Amino acid sequence: MIFFEFAKRNLGRHKFRSVLAVIGIIIGVLAVTALGILGNSVRLAASDQLYLFGNELVVFPYGGDTISEDHFEQIEKVADAIPVKSSVDKVILNDDSTLVAVYGMRTEDIPKLLEKEEGQFLKHGSLNCLVGSRVADDYELRVGERATLKAQKPRIVGILKERGVGFDINPDNAIIISDKLFSALYNSSGYNLVIVKVAKIEDVEETREEIEDRLNKKEQVVVVMEMEMIVEGIKNLFNMISLFLMGIGSTSLVVAGVSILNVMMMSTVERTKEIGVMRAIGTSKKGILHMFLFESLILGVIGGVIGAIFGFGVGYLVDVLILKEASYLFAPSSILYIFLGVAFGIGTSVISGLYPAWRASKLKPIEALRYV
Amino acid sequence: MNVVELVEVTKVYDLPRGSIKALDNVSVSIEAGDFVSIMGPSGSGKTTLLNIIGCLDVPTSGRVVIGGKDISDLGDDDLTKIRRDKIGFVFQQFNLIPTLTALENIAYPMILRGVNGHEKRSKELLGSVGIDEKLGENKPNELSGGEQQRVAVARALANEPDIILADEPTGNLDSKTSKDLMVLLKKTNERGKTIIVVTHDPIVAGFTMKTFTLVDGRIV
Repeated sequence: MIFFEFAKRNLGRHKFRSVLAVIGIIIGVLAVTALGILGNSVRLAASDQLYLFGNELVVFPYGGDTISEDHFEQIEKVADAIPVKSSVDKVILNDDSTLVAVYGMRTEDIPKLLEKEEGQFLKHGSLNCLVGSRVADDYELRVGERATLKAQKPRIVGILKERGVGFDINPDNAIIISDKLFSALYNSSGYNLVIVKVAKIEDVEETREEIEDRLNKKEQVVVVMEMEMIVEGIKNLFNMISLFLMGIGSTSLVVAGVSILNVMMMSTVERTKEIGVMRAIGTSKKGILHMFLFESLILGVIGGVIGAIFGFGVGYLVDVLILKEASYLFAPSSILYIFLGVAFGIGTSVISGLYPAWRASKLKPIEALRYV
Repeated sequence: MNVVELVEVTKVYDLPRGSIKALDNVSVSIEAGDFVSIMGPSGSGKTTLLNIIGCLDVPTSGRVVIGGKDISDLGDDDLTKIRRDKIGFVFQQFNLIPTLTALENIAYPMILRGVNGHEKRSKELLGSVGIDEKLGENKPNELSGGEQQRVAVARALANEPDIILADEPTGNLDSKTSKDLMVLLKKTNERGKTIIVVTHDPIVAGFTMKTFTLVDGRIV
């Protein structure tokens, strides 16, 4: 293709100028790619560390009191419900005293909500305990050892799998005992929260309304939190962070685009006479248009590819330095930003080249020939 | 057969200071195989006439027939094709494309037209205008003025046009090279090409068979 060849040679005529234009695109694409990857990695890291389960409702008491047994029974009529008693207390683990969350749960409920890493779950009427993964790691606990909780020394029969930060309970940094033992130790009645599992995600809204209707009839007794809403909120937040970061990156691409526009405008003016000659000896308007568009395309492709490679490198550095984890870099959603960066780079260049190319193609041959 | 036929051609330029009649009711016929010069003082309309014959411009009124085709009402794309296929241009400032080598400059009109075997033909043309094959790979700025103008003649011949238009072809050459170039054009004419030269140099005009003189947009 002759016009592609022209484009290549014309860019070679002003190497320094072309290199500067390419550097602009490189920086822009680098920014878009690296910030895109960063935003995405932050999102992935957060979703890895958050326990988010869409078809779960969490019922909290309104005010600060607990949810009474009666109210719990009302909830249970609506859907499967897991009552949880909770407290924070001093526990002695391997001779170290520490503050952890203590959850009291019905033994049959535990496998419905949590997974174990090793050992076994609590048996009915057990006076033993389960410990969360973080507690187990921090205090090097093994199955069979004992914890000291108030006057009791429950044996650790199981260690739970890591679950991440949740909006219902946070078992990673907790010790879990049966509700009976909990009531005995803390002399408590009622529940601190109730987790409702809804079978079908479409029914979540309806279930929530039903619980509220039943319990908050006369006065507000409970607050029902929809995990779905929280999940959506968090997704939106991260999407906004990603967009914001991409926006910052795009600004530098716009600057790069302006510099390409500038370079191409200079080039059309400088080459006016040459364009006149080309037109006179039979080059069509389209040919001139293509020649200039190819020039901006070449700048965009070179800048885009180099920028994306650098952007990937910078994304890697940022992931390693900030998130201390490089695996998010290779997630498909991160790789997508590399292609997005290249596409933005090429797009910006070609769009910036459109006006100069159009102007050059519109030049009247006789006027262009007369230009000195 | 008339290869160029202008019938009552008038060209008016609308300028901010008022309109200027560059050509005033000009009728010219040029036969195939003619070697014609157009002379006249500056501002007499020589270049306008050449632009109209060269399909770079269209008349305000009148009829222009080039190679049997009426171009008076053609659009840009059609005019471009006629320039590519039927007309060869030789300019005062040579106007080779600086990014292309001598051979590529000659091949360019053929590439535009999609001619097969343009490489072989470019080499033949380069030889026919008396340029050493070794210079074929040179860029225009590595050639002398005379050499550039010979390459330009070869380029003008590339698509076997009906007419060669030369606008002050010797204007930037010394007298010896000018003479050589005119000999080349004469030889080209003897091979059957119609050549139209715009000049104000009587020596150049002396090489041609017929001279039109323009004054104030009219042929006298």
